[in-house]
Amino acid sequence: DSHIQYERVGADVTMKCGSMDWDAAVTWTVNGTDIDASHLNGSYLILKKVDLTQSGQYSCYEGSSWHLKYQTYLRVGTPPKEPLLMCRSNNYPKGFYCSWHLPTPTYIPNSFNISVIHGTREMVCEKDVFPKNRCHIRYLQLFSTVKYKVTLTVTNALGKNSTTATFDEFAIVKPDPPESVVAKPVPNNPRRLEVSWQNPSSWPDPESFPLKFFLRYRPLILDQWQHVELSDGTSHTITDAYAGKEYIIQVAAKDNDIGTWSDWSVAVHATPWTEEPKHLTTEAQVTETTSASTSSFMPPPTTKICDKGAVVGSGAVAVCWTAGLVLAAYGILFI
Amino acid sequence: GDSWGIFTFLCAALCNLPALPALNCTEELGAGQSIQKTYDLTRYLEHQLRTLAGTYLNYLGPPFNEPDFNPPRLARAERVPSATVDLDLWRGLTDNARLAANYRAYSRLLCYLRALEGPAGTAELRHRLGHFCSSLQGLVLSIAGVMSSLGYPLPVGGPSAPPGTPVPSNDFLKKMEDFWLLKELQTWLWRSAKDFNRLKKKVPPAVVTLRLEARGF
Repeated sequence: DSHIQYERVGADVTMKCGSMDWDAAVTWTVNGTDIDASHLNGSYLILKKVDLTQSGQYSCYEGSSWHLKYQTYLRVGTPPKEPLLMCRSNNYPKGFYCSWHLPTPTYIPNSFNISVIHGTREMVCEKDVFPKNRCHIRYLQLFSTVKYKVTLTVTNALGKNSTTATFDEFAIVKPDPPESVVAKPVPNNPRRLEVSWQNPSSWPDPESFPLKFFLRYRPLILDQWQHVELSDGTSHTITDAYAGKEYIIQVAAKDNDIGTWSDWSVAVHATPWTEEPKHLTTEAQVTETTSASTSSFMPPPTTKICDKGAVVGSGAVAVCWTAGLVLAAYGILFI
Repeated sequence: GDSWGIFTFLCAALCNLPALPALNCTEELGAGQSIQKTYDLTRYLEHQLRTLAGTYLNYLGPPFNEPDFNPPRLARAERVPSATVDLDLWRGLTDNARLAANYRAYSRLLCYLRALEGPAGTAELRHRLGHFCSSLQGLVLSIAGVMSSLGYPLPVGGPSAPPGTPVPSNDFLKKMEDFWLLKELQTWLWRSAKDFNRLKKKVPPAVVTLRLEARGF
């Protein structure tokens, strides 16, 4: 008959061939491969300081008849380290969930037990089907002065460990990030971007428990974020975007009064509206002919810093005029 | 022993005085603005309480000032109505009931906090408590203002210690009571933010929106 045997990494393992005598002639195999007789002490198999690679099916056969006398499945692993437990309410005021995991794998099966105590009452944390290491609990009462104490115990064949989290109802409130974030350019507005989003769908009652939002944005070419905090509404217009630059935008949410900020939403990209370039080429042809006929002093071809037609924006025009004046003054001096 | 008895008596006497009708500061504001003001006050007080509670719990000393301190509630008559409530019940509260619950709770809390002022440790602590109590009184008056502007009567019968309340027999139990008082106060301030959020929705939106816009964004 078959067994499963769990042993610690680094331990010394002695396997007996079932009910066979110590001095019986046997052959051991691991996963079908013969094991060298040097590992045997009589009919016992000795494995020193086992490691993970030695997990497998070990079989013992009687010497001459080749009858299978004993079979065991060796699983090498470790007892559990202290688990990591996290509890959070992303659906306030409905309840909260706790999720956990082990910091390092044990390589053998583990079972988890979770207990939630609120004052004198023990509450049931219903295990989720997916994800696996998670359970959820419904609040029976709101605005409680008594803390919740959650204890997670993890057990496997080699040992057990546990951890406890104690918290106030309010401390663990953290919504999911806002959903459906959309950023659009605003026609005829080269410095604006219109951003809109929705409350996270997991937040059950935004009417009675409103969320506030935090928006951050920056052009892709810069590292510094700009921030806006919004107490109301699910949209905002950025009015100081750099013209023509692609922006990255994210939004986070928080209950108006309690808890912590959500993670940042999925990032969206948008570029502010820019004017169509084809209009500029026609203008350039017109202004070049007029400036050629009116000025008495022709600027040398290299100083074409102010091709009026090609430059957009009042700032650039001012530069052009200044340069023109300087050149005109220079010209007067030499005439 | 004796001094505690005197305090209880003083408390009962002080707290049975009718609520001061200093409504001239709120009667000109619409109900919407009063609610917003009250909401802001609860947030301000909640913030103030964080510092005050830290200082006071340090004065009480360990284990009261330990962050993990989570004692069981002693089974006895509670001095202050608890903020804890069933979710559906809380949702279903009428505006009047909601406001009245807040009014009663803070009136009682104010009364007991004032009793702390006397024997509390350093002069600085007493000063802080005094300042907090003034702000808390402002909140009580603000709530009264909202109730009045909505046409609700103020709850009658001032807060008084329920009959047969046992006097704490030793220093540790007295400190426990102070601990729970601060806890209850903290919870009420959290709850009130939600209560007033709900009330905000019921008031004509135009008034509330104006105030938000004035805050400049």
